[in-house]
Amino acid sequence: MICPINFSLALDDDPGKYINRKAEVWNLFYRMMTVAFVIGSVVSGTLIWLVWRFRESNNNAKKTKYEEQGKW
Amino acid sequence: MSEHSSWPEWIYVGVVVALLIYVGAEAWNIERIIEHIPSDAEIIQVTGQQWFWTFEHEDGTKEIGELHLKKDHAYKFEVVSKDVIHSFNIHDYVVLVDAVPGRVNTVWFSPDESGEFDIQCREYCGLIHYNMRAKLYVEDAS
Repeated sequence: MICPINFSLALDDDPGKYINRKAEVWNLFYRMMTVAFVIGSVVSGTLIWLVWRFRESNNNAKKTKYEEQGKW
Repeated sequence: MSEHSSWPEWIYVGVVVALLIYVGAEAWNIERIIEHIPSDAEIIQVTGQQWFWTFEHEDGTKEIGELHLKKDHAYKFEVVSKDVIHSFNIHDYVVLVDAVPGRVNTVWFSPDESGEFDIQCREYCGLIHYNMRAKLYVEDAS
């Protein structure tokens, strides 16, 4: 997962075989955008789920032992 | 706190950390790849000054405001400035490096398409910065 790049391509010194700088840079940009959206989705999705699941009005909500005893 | 399992939290932390490590490793790797200058790259001296670009080829040929290169050859730019900070940019080939007085910055590329391309200063350098342009002509090697 960490190194999907072909290292041999980049370090090939044969004349006529050069990397496409534009493609490398834009590919990196799109991969980083993908990761950024994935991280954003995971983090914000988790927070949204937490707030929804553990709200007091949720039917599945359980009282804490302090709430059951009525004292804090 | 010992009443519940904390493994979902650790999986969550692990996923986020793994993604961040991937981001760092991938960015480092691509930077390493694009900074590796081919040994057969021709050196072009690029000088920025208010408000034009000067280019000097290895054979001593000088060009002002335009640069003629051959397609599918590698070129290494050694970029300097005579006055203030400029930034040498060939937008269509994603070439961008600052021209800083007293310092030589390098960047390389290989044009894979023939034609005319814009060279533009990308660091505000004074009154005529907007027109500190040059033209890149990429010609077929044959």
